[in-house]
Amino acid sequence: MASGYAWFLVLGSVFLCNLMKTLLPTISSFLSKMVQKDAEQESEMRAEIQEMKKEQASISMMDEFARYARLERKINKMTDKLKTHVKSRTAQQAKMKWVVNIVFYILQAALMISLIWKYYSDPVTVVPSKWIAPVERLVAFPTGVAGGVGITCWLVVCNKVVSLGLHAVS
Amino acid sequence: MEPGDVSAGEKAACLSAAQRRAEIRRRKLLMNSEDRMNRIVGYTKNESEINAATLLRPTEPRFHLDLDRTEPWSSASSSPRPSPFLPEASGLVSRSHGATPERRGSPLPDSGDPPGSFLEDDIVGIQQRPRGERASDDLSSSPRPGLQKYLSRFDDAMKLRGQLANEKPTQDGGGSDSEELDPFRIFRLIGSILLAVFVRVFVCKFLSIFAPFLTLELAYMGLYKYFPKVEKKAQTTVLTAALLLSGIPAEVINRSMDTYRRMSDVFADLCVYFFTFILSHEFLLLIGSETP
Repeated sequence: MASGYAWFLVLGSVFLCNLMKTLLPTISSFLSKMVQKDAEQESEMRAEIQEMKKEQASISMMDEFARYARLERKINKMTDKLKTHVKSRTAQQAKMKWVVNIVFYILQAALMISLIWKYYSDPVTVVPSKWIAPVERLVAFPTGVAGGVGITCWLVVCNKVVSLGLHAVS
Repeated sequence: MEPGDVSAGEKAACLSAAQRRAEIRRRKLLMNSEDRMNRIVGYTKNESEINAATLLRPTEPRFHLDLDRTEPWSSASSSPRPSPFLPEASGLVSRSHGATPERRGSPLPDSGDPPGSFLEDDIVGIQQRPRGERASDDLSSSPRPGLQKYLSRFDDAMKLRGQLANEKPTQDGGGSDSEELDPFRIFRLIGSILLAVFVRVFVCKFLSIFAPFLTLELAYMGLYKYFPKVEKKAQTTVLTAALLLSGIPAEVINRSMDTYRRMSDVFADLCVYFFTFILSHEFLLLIGSETP
């Protein structure tokens, strides 16, 4: 027979999974920031480029061409270095995002399978069967209990409702 | 008559004959230059039209991905291209009096030929040339439709890919449920919630809970027209792109998507209704007001 709060357990699990899904981008960016070691270097390079550009703007190209050209070369070199750095950081972020997504989906699948395994033969809740006629068999699948609400039906319903609710809130 | 006089007379006749020949040659050259120009323009236009048509024609009305297009794919790509010459020839006829710049600038004393026949020769010559060239085009164009079709589809596939890439960030930002909650949708959901509570409290003992739900959906179908219609942007997804490229008309895709959208709205209403019903049932059990 159905335990008292099985429906609430399933609802809570579905809510948690959907909430985590919406927070995945935040989690992956947080983790990538933690893993990244030379984040300061990039900001330093940017500041340096800004300084050099300011200095270059103050120099007259006609009067001090050599100095201007030297600065230009330095700026270009630093910009290339920054671009390489940004590229590697972006690649690392993409990798982290991919890993986080994979881990999440594995965990979600494991949770769903365990719920289905636990409530395969027990309905999450029971109502009089005439209330849910004529689809009582479909609703009770796979338990076969008359008037019961099966795990699959309840999972689908909870998933839809929770995603609608989170979409409305966000 | 003296021999000198004869030779002078002959010379005059020769000169006029020479003049005449020169005149004919000149006209021929002029005519040829025009034909040459037409041929060049016509060839260039043809090739550029072929390339441009493959690039331009599939895109603008058809895609945005343009799901407003009603013609099937194959008929559009195999539609015959207009000849550039006949309109030009008709244009030339209309302009024949002023004629081409070459002619306009050269007032030629038309010694023997009437102007009408000259113009007719123009038109016939122009018309004949393109037709001859079109015949040669037809001979060589038999592999072209297939190649053009392939090129047009390839271009469309590239454009679809670009559109998909552009739309992907917006879809990612919106999350998996990218449908917006317009007023009618919110009204439906609230109505389903209220009806579920009402049915749990008053109605469920007497009949199935799905009967009021079906009545509610019928009512929604009638109420739909009283709500402001929200224009749903046709999103380019991988599925719609694949269907378009496989030759299914855009109108069919539009209608199918519309039907699917309506079905998903009904399904969402059903889920909310059932969820609220079970929740209110459990709540009532919790507070112990009823035994099942």
